[in-house]
Amino acid sequence: MAAFRTFWNSPVGPKTTHFWGPIANFSFVIAGVADTQKPPDMISGNMTAVMCGYSGLFMRFAWVVQPRNYLLMACHASNETVQLYQLSRLASAHGYLPKKEEPAKK
Amino acid sequence: MASSKLQALWNHPAGPKTIHFWAPTFKWGITVANVADFTKPPEKLSYPQQIAVTCTGIIWSRYSLVVKPKNWNLFSVNVAMAGTGLYQLSRKIWHDQNPESQEVVA
Repeated sequence: MAAFRTFWNSPVGPKTTHFWGPIANFSFVIAGVADTQKPPDMISGNMTAVMCGYSGLFMRFAWVVQPRNYLLMACHASNETVQLYQLSRLASAHGYLPKKEEPAKK
Repeated sequence: MASSKLQALWNHPAGPKTIHFWAPTFKWGITVANVADFTKPPEKLSYPQQIAVTCTGIIWSRYSLVVKPKNWNLFSVNVAMAGTGLYQLSRKIWHDQNPESQEVVA
């Protein structure tokens, strides 16, 4: 209970935008995960590549901003992961990545 | 004097020697990528992604004004992001609401 109260009243807690900013950014992660189930031709190469750069930079930003924002850092680490995966799906669909074995079915 | 104004900008706590400058500057890439995608056919747009871009833009416009250092660069980029997201959403919604535009199927 005390832990919840500490969280609730935290200067980076749910009463502040320091909490909701990163929560909003998790929508990129959720959108990315949802889009992993869609065919690769729906992946925007522009947007995905930019997201990879953006999340890399914002992991650093989250570390040095006042107040330091671990939630934001976690959000961008997650986004970096899902966007890199999407980029690999796009690259694979365009024939850029070597296939490990011959495709079993076409 | 112009040079002292330039010096003030150069040495600003959110200036070009810091991540507080480069992270938002790179974030403009999301807006640029979204503008490049204005020519994409609406069927290829992703609802989750565009909703994420719009909501993030709106919430972060507020966040950028309450962190230290206060970040007008981050503010402007998020306003622009919200704008492009709203436009893309409106394109896709209009397309989905108007079935007569979908009679040509490749």
